[in-house]
Parts: sequence; structure tokens; C-alpha cells
Amino acid sequence: MLTYIIRRLLNLIPTFLGATLLAFIISQLVPGDFLNTMRLSPDVRPETIERLERQYGLDQPWFVQYGRWMGSLARGDLGLSFDSNQPVVNLVRRPVQNSMILVVLSIVLLWVVAIPLGVYAATRQYSLGDQVVGVVSYFGLAIPNFFFALLIILMLFNLRGFTREVFGYNELLLPVAKMTSNEFADLSPIGKALDILRHALIPAFVTATAGMAGFTRVLRAQMIEFLSSDFIRTARAKGLGERSVTYKHALRPALIPFIAGIGGLLPALIGGAGLVEIVMAWPGITPILLASISRQDIYVVLGFLVISTLLLMIGNLVSDLLLAAADPRIRYS
Amino acid sequence: MALSSKTVLPNSPKDNNPKDRQTPTKPSAQSQASIAWQQFKRRKSAVAGGVVLILMYVMAGFAGFLAPYGINEYTRRLPVTQFHPPTRVHWINPETGLPGRPFVYATDAERDPVTRQRVYVEDTSERFPIKFFVRRPDEPYRLFGIWEQDMRLFGVDEPARIFLWGTNNLGKDVFSRVLYGGQVSLTIGILAVWVSLFLGLTFGGIAGFYGGWVDELIMRFIEVLDAIPGLYLLIVLSTLLRDPRNPLARTFGLEMTSAQTFMMIVFVLGFIGWGGLARTIRSILLSVREFDYAQAAKALGASNQRIIAKHLLPATASFVIVSLTLAIPGFILAETGLSFIGLGPSEVDTASWGLLLRDATSRGITIQFVPWLLIPGIPIFLAVLCWNLVGDGLRDAFDPRKRK
Repeated sequence: MLTYIIRRLLNLIPTFLGATLLAFIISQLVPGDFLNTMRLSPDVRPETIERLERQYGLDQPWFVQYGRWMGSLARGDLGLSFDSNQPVVNLVRRPVQNSMILVVLSIVLLWVVAIPLGVYAATRQYSLGDQVVGVVSYFGLAIPNFFFALLIILMLFNLRGFTREVFGYNELLLPVAKMTSNEFADLSPIGKALDILRHALIPAFVTATAGMAGFTRVLRAQMIEFLSSDFIRTARAKGLGERSVTYKHALRPALIPFIAGIGGLLPALIGGAGLVEIVMAWPGITPILLASISRQDIYVVLGFLVISTLLLMIGNLVSDLLLAAADPRIRYS
Repeated sequence: MALSSKTVLPNSPKDNNPKDRQTPTKPSAQSQASIAWQQFKRRKSAVAGGVVLILMYVMAGFAGFLAPYGINEYTRRLPVTQFHPPTRVHWINPETGLPGRPFVYATDAERDPVTRQRVYVEDTSERFPIKFFVRRPDEPYRLFGIWEQDMRLFGVDEPARIFLWGTNNLGKDVFSRVLYGGQVSLTIGILAVWVSLFLGLTFGGIAGFYGGWVDELIMRFIEVLDAIPGLYLLIVLSTLLRDPRNPLARTFGLEMTSAQTFMMIVFVLGFIGWGGLARTIRSILLSVREFDYAQAAKALGASNQRIIAKHLLPATASFVIVSLTLAIPGFILAETGLSFIGLGPSEVDTASWGLLLRDATSRGITIQFVPWLLIPGIPIFLAVLCWNLVGDGLRDAFDPRKRK
């Protein structure tokens, strides 16, 4: 197992180097830089601009810049933001954490929703419930999540209108914008966590819809296949109860593609979370990435690309390792 | 799969043996395509999806004719039309109380005294019947981008206006814009899939056929592309390529017009999506290459190009058709998402569905007062749903284990 992990880790290095190189080349597509506005301004002396160019290495050819950037990256330094003159690491940390909250919570939701639904649909094949699950999962796959988020916001507003009329209750059921309440600073640590969780529920659910729908369908198909296989017949013949047959014998092997699937699903989850972040004003990566691109703050953009690439690769690795641990048919030699 | 074209016709000149003549003249062999088509027809949901898609594409094609207003038409004159709710179409004639010719009333903007929201009140003094095949010479359009026309399917006389799905913050008709928007959102997916197919076939084919270090290099590059989260790559590429100062644009002397932005988005989407396709084509080729008929062709002295084109690629055809169909909805979602965050085709003379949905999120808007601005999301949902249905139907139709 250890050698397998080490080999996988070594395997990541060339991919990571390639990804940073690609990201850097793309970032060089625009020859202008953050000094453009300064150059046009008559108040800034040319010497100042030259000094800044030297300071940031902008006068060097791109591969020298790349080398310097990679050198500092190896020391855990992502460079300085042109715009705010702060280390990129500081600027990038919070948004990445916030996006991670969404992605991790949506993976949890995905499991919590997809597993019972898939088992339900498989054990009652062709029943009304199965067909409803089938139709709903088709819808879940097709609805764009930014549209779904807007629909939920509209629904919650209308619900508030209704409860105000009927019960005089003038609050939204769940918050639909931002990550924290106004009185966040006064809350206890547990209160803070609960507050963030309350805010994260809707965006995480919306992010997870497509994944839930896809997984429900996969799990249903897997369960149906296993439920009609020989070892299940043996289990039934031994006199095992249906519950034990379903959950202990059929569900376990059927879950294996789930574990493998998480890694493949991560890019979609990150992308989906990105659009939801914009709709629901969640302070994650995407809104700040968009802002830094429009300011041509290249090192911040690169910082986001590098960190998210790294996280995605780690996610894939973890998913592979879990799969290796869970599936006895996989040998890691 | 590759056998389909080689069936011997019963009355070919060579077999003039009387015994053979007695065999039934009806061809007993069916081509792969006709079997798949028969299977496809038996899947109701797939056929329904296909029919809805055809309808949507026809409507987008005839958008200029079906839409009562131009893509960017709005009035600066009074009466104002910003955030106009969907116009009520009246079917009952108030004088007789019986159903009659549908008509609308002109509306006046007023302020709600309590909420200070703008409300539109119908002016019931004059009825404006809905007219069909109206000529509007002041607002011509080009059918399929070629023929200049001014005939619209329906419309009403001014000062009344007919906004079936309301208007946006500038008073532009949402219904018309959704129709025009289909031209962008429905075609971009199909075009991007061709870019993806071209790249996937070329590189997947090369990697699968030659193997060795070429294979290694291509697969590494795909891994690198996959390692960067797609949305971020999409955002960065489409922002940076749009900038007129980028080296590519300067080399080719391009100044991004909206048509070029459109093509740029197509290429960016296709570029990001080709990896998976290339990988699967490669793995199919690796196994097919060892099949007897490919080996036989090689032994007969066929050139590499001939083996790739005549023997290997046809073996991947059914798979490619299915995965292309299933890739289109992904591209539609990606394009509308990109437009939704304002990085798609520009607003000047296009109207992607994502861009229309963006109107619902602009500053100072409370959705509950303007719910009709969410309508452009419905066609996105429908198009993606139907492409998925068609793709699933095709996959099952090509799969011999799922024959009905």
C-alpha cells in the first residue's frame, strides 16, 4: 500500500509541472500587465514604472518569469498581488477555504440523498416510486445549477410572502445570500459553525443536484445487477432477511463505483459551485477569480489555478486510495 | 460493426447458379444504421426528446419571423416598458361576454403608493386585436442571415405592445430574445462538439495507433488539461483571448467582432472538452488494432492511413456518435454558464440564454417582483434534457444487449 501511495504521489509531479506551465503560458497571452493604467497616467514618472517592472520581473522574458515564479512556488510563496501589494497566499486562502466548504458539503449531501434513493428505486423496480425517481433524476441532470439556484431563491421569497400573510412570520426559511449573518461576530464558535452551515445548505444542495441525479441512476443500475446475482440468491437461500440482503450484501459492492466516481465528479462540483457562488454571493474562488482577471492581477489568477489544480489532484488521489482500500479486486503492487 | 457494408447482394452477376435464385430476394442483412434506427424508434422518451429538439431548432431558425420584436428593440419614447410583466391576452370580448378575437390593452406605468414599485395598469378604453402576418418595415431581420424580411408572425398596433414573457431592465421583449437566443445557445454546443471531435479523433487516433512515446506525450497532455478545474480554465481562456491585445489577435489582425467572440467560445469549449473523447477512442483503437480483420488488412499490405480510415475508425463510429450526442448538453450548459457570468458572446447583437438569465441577477433587482426574467432558464433546461434523452436512446439503440 505504501509503495502504491508513493508511486501515485511521484506520478503527480510531472502532471502538476505541466499544469503550472500551461497556466503560465495562458496567462502570458495578454502582453499588458497591471502597470498599463499607471503607464497611461501622467502623474507617474517613467522611472517609477521601470523600478516596478524590475521589482516584479516584468522586463524579463516569460520563461525567466516562469522560473522565478516556480522557484518561489517551491518555497510555498505564490508571489505578490500586483493590485493590493499583498502576498497572493493571503488573498487566496479564504476563498479557497470557502469553496471547499461548499464542495465537501455537497459531496456529503450527494451521498445522503443518492444512496437511499438509489436503493429505494432498485428494490422497487418499475414501481411508481422508481419511475418518479427516474424522472426527477433526469430533471436534476438537465437543470443548469445557476437557474436552479435562482428558482430556489424565488421560491423562498414567495414562501416568505405566504408565511407573512398567514402567520405573520417575516423571515426566509434559509438564507439565500452570503456566507454569514450580520451578527456573525457575536456568535459562539458553535453558533458560527451552525450559521455558516445554514448559509451553505442551499448552495451546496444546488451544486450537488447533477451529481445526485447521476449517482442515483448509477446506484440503481448497480443494485439491480447485484440483486439478481448468485451470491444474493445464496444469501436468501441461507434464510437471511431482506434488509440484511439489501444493505449488507448488495449495497456494499454497488457502492464501489461511488468511491471511484467522487474523483471524476470533483471538477464538475467545483465548476458547479463556481456558478452558484456567483448567484448566491458566496465568497468563494470564482467571484474573486473573475475580479482578479479583470484587474489583470496575473499572480492571483495563477495562484487560484495552482491551488485548485493541487486540490483537484489530491482529491483524485484520495478517491483512488479509498477505492484501492475498499475494493478487494484491486491490487496495488 | 465493420461488416455492414460488405453484404453480398443476392442478384449480383457472379451467382447465376439456379439454386441461389430461389433464395428470397428480400435482403436478409440489415445495416448497423438501420437496426439502430429501428431500435431508436421504439424508445418513446428518446423520440419525444428528438421531436422537441427539432421544434426548438426550427423555432430558433425562424426566430426573426416568430418574434414580434427585434433582438435589441426597445423604446425610449413613452410609454416606458422597463420590467413590464407579461402582457395579458384577453380572449373574451367584454361587450358580448363571449370568446372572440384575442386582444390586448395598452398599459400605463404607475408607482405603487406603498412599495414604490413600478406597476403597469391596463388602459381598457381601447382594444388592440392581435394581428397575424404583420409587416414591420422599421424593424427588418435577415432570415437565416440571408434574406431580408419584415414579415412577423404576430403583433399589435402601437401604442399597445405585446410582451408574452415580459420585458427586462431596458424594456426589451423577453419572448423575442429567447427565440433569438436559441440561435446562439443551440448552435454553440453542436459546433463545439465538432471541434472536440476533430481534436479527439486526431490525437486519440494517433495515440492509439502509433503508441510509444507519442501516445505517452498525448496522454500526459490530456492529464494536464484535466488537472486544471474546467470552469477556471474556461474563465481564464475566454477572458484573455477576448482581449484585443493578445498575441494571437495581433498576429492575425483580428478585432473581436461578436461573430469572432462566438467562434472563440466554440474553440475554447471544444479545446477543453476533447480529452475524454480522445482517451476513449485511443483505448478502443488499442483493442481493435489486435482484431483479426485489422491484422489481415496489415498483412495484405494496406497503408497505415488506409487501416486507420477504413478499418479502425468505423469500429469506433457508434461509440463516437453516442458520446458526441451526450457531450452536446454539457457544452450547452458550459456556454450558458459562461454567458451567465458575462463572458459569453457580447450583448450587442446576440442574446444567449445565459445572458438573458443574467438580467435576473443584475444589481437592485428582487426576483420576486420580476419572476418572468427567469423564463430563459426553461429552454436551457429543455434543450439539455432532450439532448440527454436522445443521447441515452442512441446509446441503448447501438447496444446489442439492450435490443427490444
